Amino acid sequence: MANISLKHLDKIYDNKVQAVFDFNLEVKDGEFIVLVGPSGCGKSTTLRMIAGLEDISSGQLLLDGKDITSAPAKDRDMAMVFQNYALYGHMTVYENMAFSLTLRKEDPNVIHRKVLAAAEILGLTDQLNKKPKQLSGGQRQRVAMGRSIVRSPKVFLFDEPLSNLDAKLRGATRREILLLHKRMNATMLYVTHDQTEALTLADRIVCMSMGHVQQVGTPLELYDTPANLFVASFIGLPPMNFFDVEIKDDKAVNQYFTVALTEDEQKMLAAYQGKTVVLGVRPENIATGGDVDVAVFSNENLGMNTLVHGRLCGSAAANAAITCKLRGWCDYKAGDHVQVKFEKRHFFDKETTNAIR
Amino acid sequence: MTMNRLDDPRIVKIDRMRYAKNTFSSGLTYLAILFNVFYFVSIYESDVGSWYYQILIGASIVYNLVFMLMTFLASEGVKNYKMGYSVLLLVAGAGQIIRIFILPLMAYQATVTISKVTYPVMEKPQLIWVIICLAASALCCFVAGLVGVYRSRKLAAYNATLNQTVA
Repeated sequence: MANISLKHLDKIYDNKVQAVFDFNLEVKDGEFIVLVGPSGCGKSTTLRMIAGLEDISSGQLLLDGKDITSAPAKDRDMAMVFQNYALYGHMTVYENMAFSLTLRKEDPNVIHRKVLAAAEILGLTDQLNKKPKQLSGGQRQRVAMGRSIVRSPKVFLFDEPLSNLDAKLRGATRREILLLHKRMNATMLYVTHDQTEALTLADRIVCMSMGHVQQVGTPLELYDTPANLFVASFIGLPPMNFFDVEIKDDKAVNQYFTVALTEDEQKMLAAYQGKTVVLGVRPENIATGGDVDVAVFSNENLGMNTLVHGRLCGSAAANAAITCKLRGWCDYKAGDHVQVKFEKRHFFDKETTNAIR
Repeated sequence: MTMNRLDDPRIVKIDRMRYAKNTFSSGLTYLAILFNVFYFVSIYESDVGSWYYQILIGASIVYNLVFMLMTFLASEGVKNYKMGYSVLLLVAGAGQIIRIFILPLMAYQATVTISKVTYPVMEKPQLIWVIICLAASALCCFVAGLVGVYRSRKLAAYNATLNQTVA
């Protein structure tokens, strides 16, 4: 398979709008990389530059050490799966999957073997004589993947392949993609705005915002040690709660609560004495039984957990809203008060928005 | 199991027929229709000048319509390895051969008298041309039909072995 190097990639459109800024990434052979970020952050543009569907304004793209920055898409030996499947409606599943190889004028017997092998992997053997319109969304997406598989490319590129599927099908197809990656051990780059897809599929995640890479790391690294406020707010569902706090000696204080800092936190925040920083707490890191008073607005029981939405007591400000994911089944009503504690805390520099470590 | 079976190139060739259509036969069928069009465009140029031949030409027009509809349907059937349509193409081919001996030969032997001058209804070059068109059309039908029958039988036999394996 393949190693990919992206060095200082920029994308500037003709109207001078810059979509991608100084993108750097080393993708190892067989790695599953997920580019994640909100709409318009440049993740699809980056993928299209890798595929050769967009020109690279500046920077270098290497595939196995070979410079392919200016190579046409057909010479890059990469296969792309699109969100809208891009299947030929008048062809059967078999013909769709065989099409690229037929264009290459490969031996029909070889094509046949490859198509049947791919169909077997994807569970499409019984659908080979059907037209795409006779298939469900998930099956169509599998056909699109099959079309990529038969080409045996060095790299698979997925551009939000599950966005058109309903939630149940998305989960099933996600597992199939994961299985496919394990079975083929292929280098895969996958674009999504869905953090669940990113966290479940990726070996490493590239989190992007406004054309800039915010953080590259394993799913656990992004979840546990977010590099900045953006990553902290983007990864995790429900999103992290943020509060401005002032560091006073061994405490983090704001007008609604005071939190005692651990020794490690005190060392980490030594340079911020007397300054305001941002305290981040994930809803699942909040537990009952502390001294932070929350006025409950609404209560959502999820079975094993309860989502409690409220405000820090005595506040009306929007930045004092808080979401807690409490363990067990709770029956709070609007107006109830609940005492909570923050079990794991993240601190961010208010000016640079970077995590304080 | 599937992949083991496909190690044999002869088996692969037959197995491909399960998913690839018989475009060879259907293409030949379209060609048969085209030759038939050349035939009737040429034959209807003739001025037979007699009610008897005009009735024959009327019948020929109706047969042309039937032939083209029949072969077009057969082209779709034979594409999907339907044995019945392959046989139909063989029948249509035979029909085209028989047609050579009806209208073209009659028109070639007939004469028409205009202002006391007698002319042949069809000259020899035209006769040769229409015979070529009908013969070519018949040949296309025969080959398409024979290939269709051969492939349909092979595929049916192969499918039967697959069903036995599954059972």
